[in-house]
Amino acid sequence: MIQIDGLSFRYPRGNNDAISNLSLRVRHGSLFGLLGPNGSGKTTLISILIGLLPSPPGRVQIEGISLQARRPETRSFSALVPQDYAFYPRLSIAENLAFFAGVLAIPAAETGVRIQEALSVSGLEPHHGTRAERLSGGLKRRLNLAIGLLNRPRLLFLDEPTVGIDPQSRHFILKAIRRINSQGTTVVYTSHNMEEVESLCDEIGVLDNGRLLVQGTLEQLLGGSESKQLVVGLASTLTAEQCKALAAWPGLEVAGSELRVAQCSAADFQHLMALLATHGLKPSRVKYGYGNLEQLFLHLTGHRLRD
Amino acid sequence: MRTLYSLVKKEWIMLLRDWHALLLLFVMPAVFILVMSLALQNSFASQQAVHISYYLVNEDSGPVSAALTQRLLAVPGFSALPAHVPTTALATRVRRDQVQFLVIIPRGFGKALLHAHPLPLRMLAGPGVEPAVYKLFEAALHNALGQVYAEHALARLKNMMPAPVSTAVPGFDFDAADKLLHAGSLYQTHGQMEFPSSVQQNVPAWLVFAMFFIAIPLSTTWMQERQQGTYARLRSMGLNTRALLLGKLLPYLGINLLQVIVMLLVGLIVLPWFGGDRLTLGHSPPALVVMALTLSFASVAYALLVANLVSTGEQATIFTGVANLLMAALGGIMVPRFLMPPLMQALSAYSPMAWGLDGFLDVFLRHGGLQTVAPDALRLLAFGLACLALAGLRPGRREGKG
Repeated sequence: MIQIDGLSFRYPRGNNDAISNLSLRVRHGSLFGLLGPNGSGKTTLISILIGLLPSPPGRVQIEGISLQARRPETRSFSALVPQDYAFYPRLSIAENLAFFAGVLAIPAAETGVRIQEALSVSGLEPHHGTRAERLSGGLKRRLNLAIGLLNRPRLLFLDEPTVGIDPQSRHFILKAIRRINSQGTTVVYTSHNMEEVESLCDEIGVLDNGRLLVQGTLEQLLGGSESKQLVVGLASTLTAEQCKALAAWPGLEVAGSELRVAQCSAADFQHLMALLATHGLKPSRVKYGYGNLEQLFLHLTGHRLRD
Repeated sequence: MRTLYSLVKKEWIMLLRDWHALLLLFVMPAVFILVMSLALQNSFASQQAVHISYYLVNEDSGPVSAALTQRLLAVPGFSALPAHVPTTALATRVRRDQVQFLVIIPRGFGKALLHAHPLPLRMLAGPGVEPAVYKLFEAALHNALGQVYAEHALARLKNMMPAPVSTAVPGFDFDAADKLLHAGSLYQTHGQMEFPSSVQQNVPAWLVFAMFFIAIPLSTTWMQERQQGTYARLRSMGLNTRALLLGKLLPYLGINLLQVIVMLLVGLIVLPWFGGDRLTLGHSPPALVVMALTLSFASVAYALLVANLVSTGEQATIFTGVANLLMAALGGIMVPRFLMPPLMQALSAYSPMAWGLDGFLDVFLRHGGLQTVAPDALRLLAFGLACLALAGLRPGRREGKG
């Protein structure tokens, strides 16, 4: 669906590349999670893909169409749901949808059907006459999403669509996104909520400093072969003497009957198993790899605060 | 076309729901027109409406001061009030601006009139008397004094002549000056000479002022679109800069033209209800339409430029307020340009509000047609095109953040 090869982008007065030699693939029908700390280049990348920023020739293709050469064509089947409430507060939900349908030049005869579809998917039918300024945060998010559905997009960019809403609204929106995706729409989803991305996305890419650090399915990313965290559960509780002996191991943490090593190579693993056997300790379970997406994310992007 | 229709409709709905903007664009100028036209009615009215009150104290007794008193009382528009209290008390009232002038004919004035050292008439003005009114009253006194002086000088001359000669000298009509001058204004509405009322100045002035305030609602909505990501969303939907600018230009042009219609109706219908004069529209509807269109275009293009220059709604309000007040002060909206010193008059030639006001005054006061208003209309058109070009150069800002 989306193919990016060696894309770089620098803002006119910028000192560094906002996107640096980035290559990425998003397959058709995927629900792709794009992760990255603030300032990592996510919004810039989406802005390029949606046509708000120029793309260098030949670097980006959507459905096999070069983005630079045939922008209007890609616009007809893609949509952006920005992080902000990108609609008019003084207009009602129906008026907002009618306005954006007009901007999209949806034929008048079809406008009613499209608005009804968008209202239905976002669960906004009972509120269609309410002015947007009077809606709750959750309803505003749903309106934001509904506008993005008016052109029945085959490619949908969602930029943190669940920020600042209650769990019920989040649950509804995530369910709606799953449904939209299941109907064949490719979704590119950015969020800082790792649990959300874990549960929702079938493929994930982590971006930082304009570079793609990793890309793959959740299983691939969490269970990769490079140096990772080891968690060993023990069948019995440790004695003081055993604790003292294990504490000498570099980077090992003892928590009750559980041992954790932040960075453990294959060689380290063998040594540790031998040490446990020496002290008469039997492992009851072994977990190797990142515990969750957040651990992977922090490992890849570091703990330094971002602007 | 459908896209443009949607953009125009959206702006109109939003403006109709924005009470602050409606107050600013329609109620504020209407109130200004009403208040200022009624308050300044006398300043612009014909001579019949001039009312100057004064105390006349005649300390002299004799035919000369009696003749002078008679002449002063006969001047139209000047009301001599009874002076039954001491002169010092009268002077106090004048100092407090309760009455505008105190005129004292000193004792011995008549006898000394034709001597080498005459006793002057004393004219004292209150501190609040306008310079123009002071000059007017002074001129009236000079005129009366001149007539009395000439009358008595001639009488004395005749007395000094031998009888046959003096009887041969004809009598003189000392009011002849009035008959020798036919004064009038070229401003005519119904084929008769009239003086333009304050309405003719105030309706176009406050209309022009209000039209430039379109920058506040326009830049506020533009700002919200940029800040809330709506602008990015619209561009992602394929709207280009030209469509976006046109989508703002057309609805606000319509609003500006509606302002013109409403303010003219205030001058035509509402002001007469309140006792003011009725606005007269001149003789050239095409010239009026051209002025309305070019001024609307200039003010909306200026508003688009402001919207692109500022970053917040507060900045837009402050910038527009200050810039508009400056343009209004320079452009003759608040102070008529003929009252300004030459330097200020030269500067005012650079204010778009002055071009708009001059164009409207050409139509309303000077009965100008298309040819007359063409220079001002072209200036406004050029100003609007320049603003639009600058606004088009920077229609948005970098919005990347993640």
